[in-house]
Amino acid sequence: MIGIVVVSHSKKVAEGIVELSMQMAGPNQKIIAAGGMDDGEIGTDAVRIANAIKEADTGQGVVVLVDLGSAVISSNLAIELLEEEGLNIDIKIADGPVLEGAVSASVQAYIGGTIEEVVSAAELAREVLKLQ
Amino acid sequence: MKEVAYMIVNRLGIHARPAAEIAKIASKYDCNVTLKGNNKNANAKSLLMIMALGIKNGQEVTIAVDGPDEEKAIEALDVLITNNFYED
Repeated sequence: MIGIVVVSHSKKVAEGIVELSMQMAGPNQKIIAAGGMDDGEIGTDAVRIANAIKEADTGQGVVVLVDLGSAVISSNLAIELLEEEGLNIDIKIADGPVLEGAVSASVQAYIGGTIEEVVSAAELAREVLKLQ
Repeated sequence: MKEVAYMIVNRLGIHARPAAEIAKIASKYDCNVTLKGNNKNANAKSLLMIMALGIKNGQEVTIAVDGPDEEKAIEALDVLITNNFYED
């Protein structure tokens, strides 16, 4: 099962998205929040993200959902940190909206998709209109 | 190829949670599963595609299955939908 990490500048946002995604996926799905800084302040922290990726990985890889701007930089830094540690985890950052993407990716991961399918599910969220 | 039509009677229609349940069940089968409604078609193995149909209470949907295990897929989805997604 592919793991999911939710990166947000806000701890509360990341935790809320995980809460919602868990409700939609299933109890065994790994969805880990990496929000805010260690002291709870707004920001993104590569070490916190790296730890979340380790926690989310069950050996099949991890898809990372990010919110704004430096969330991407910190997530890339986290991937470098894990590589420096010698950990060989298949990690992909999905280029989709963080909430809708996380919910979609979590359900796809729970269903049992490949890492590419889970990324596609997250990125599909860019295209789905809400108002008909 | 088989198609079955249903009236959606649970209060909130096919909102996020029922859509996730449909996708989870449809994904267990190899056959193609298509959900039709609001003059649109959705791959029923995709949560977001199902939600994008915007099926509301009182609307009709059709499930189309096509493939070797289509009978089993339609049976499983029939249980979910005829039980109103276990809501209300």
